Amino acid sequence: MQARTQTLWQRILGIDRRWLYLILFVNIVTFLVAPIRMPASVSPPVQKFHDEIEKLQPGDLVMISSNWSASTLAENQPQLEAVITHLMRKQARFTIISIEAQSRDISYRLAERVTKEKGYQYGEQWAHFGFVPNLTVAIKGMVTDLPGTIKQDVRGTEVSKLPVVQGVKSLSDYKMIIDVTPSGTVPIWISYSPKNVSILYCPTSVMAAEAYTYLDSGQIKGMITGAKGAQEYEQLLTVVGLGTRFMNAISFSHVLIIVFILLGNFAMFMNRLQQRREG
Amino acid sequence: MDWLLEFLPRNLDRLSVWIGVLCTLAIYSLLYRENPVYRFFEHMYIGLAAGYSLGPLGVDILYRYWIEPIWIQGYWAWAFVVPYGMYLYFIFSERYGWISRIVIGTLIGASAGLFFQEFSSRYLPQLNSTLQKPLWVSDANPDMTYGMMINNILFVVILLSVLTYFTFSYEQRGPVKRVAIWGRWFLMIGLGAIFGNTVMARMALLIGRIYYLLNDWLMIRVGGG
Repeated sequence: MQARTQTLWQRILGIDRRWLYLILFVNIVTFLVAPIRMPASVSPPVQKFHDEIEKLQPGDLVMISSNWSASTLAENQPQLEAVITHLMRKQARFTIISIEAQSRDISYRLAERVTKEKGYQYGEQWAHFGFVPNLTVAIKGMVTDLPGTIKQDVRGTEVSKLPVVQGVKSLSDYKMIIDVTPSGTVPIWISYSPKNVSILYCPTSVMAAEAYTYLDSGQIKGMITGAKGAQEYEQLLTVVGLGTRFMNAISFSHVLIIVFILLGNFAMFMNRLQQRREG
Repeated sequence: MDWLLEFLPRNLDRLSVWIGVLCTLAIYSLLYRENPVYRFFEHMYIGLAAGYSLGPLGVDILYRYWIEPIWIQGYWAWAFVVPYGMYLYFIFSERYGWISRIVIGTLIGASAGLFFQEFSSRYLPQLNSTLQKPLWVSDANPDMTYGMMINNILFVVILLSVLTYFTFSYEQRGPVKRVAIWGRWFLMIGLGAIFGNTVMARMALLIGRIYYLLNDWLMIRVGGG
């Protein structure tokens, strides 16, 4: 019996997915290496984020909640780098806290590298409070007694002896909270932090859609969405960071996926049409 | 020649990069097919992540909040805290299972108490913001543009239709059913936006790894920077 030859549409539908992975890989490498830089239109949440930090005065105190680990590094690292760069430009003091064990060391090393480049002094202008396992309990504690709750920083120095938080008794003494996270931690900050402290949010792209309700109600004042948001923010700061470096590849990989989806659907419809014609 | 010397794992920094590359390639080998190398590295990752957490838990939590207050500061009452928490494990005993209910009761009581604050801080401002949205341009709202007006009307229409979709107290018929169907469509659009963002996130993670291979391992300065 003679085997029936496959039509073009059937061949497209039967392509091994590993070829698609290879095309995607080549596409990403090409647009990472390509010496072009695409400009971004800054979205309103990112602009609001930037404007809110611009309002800070030298010496204002900011709490950064950094809860990401190696698995979301590509999205959260550019955000945290850009935020710290902006805070240093404004001469703001900042402290970092993590509710993720891995994030304690990742965020500490990152902040140490970025601050060293600009001559920001540990203990004087910034500090890392280490790892706390339960954010709700930690916030409730910090609202009433911050040094008593955190006790020591990541280097083992007593918090009450750190010049960066000299005179700080509670979270109310802070001006701003910035949550850099891939998890649902921002509702906890919104629920339990003092109302006089504004909250800014840096989620991964997956988490961003849910946060628009908080943005609309003013519970968060601005948002940087994933690597795309980081690119927009870097553009506002006129720096070239990971967000900018990733953006060509992100944009063109999306174009490729859209082409795959359109081609797959078109092949499916054409195949059905052909089968109907053939009866 | 210089490039090759720099490329090879001749010091600890370079060795760590090479190990990172090995891990990355082993994990991505799954894209070709399921294989024992992938399995080994998958289990290693899980073990490392779990083991790594023990360090910060021991140093930052157990020592700082439990051992130090008891042994150095003399707050001996703290010694009862961990055994009390461990009563939870009696849940596995048929005879002494009731003891675990004491801890469960404490947890439920604390969560219920916290929820009052959470509800008022999290949801009431959203209700307030929704109810205050002006739906037409007037002298009372001088900053309002026609674009904002359309946005607010859309917001209210979508909100009401989605809420209608989730009203299960009576059978949805006639116009109510039509509104509910619209609500379902709006929900689908919302879920589509979330899915689109998910694709972007996954792409960014893949690009991050490829960037590591090119930039850190092969030392090709990439990204138009």
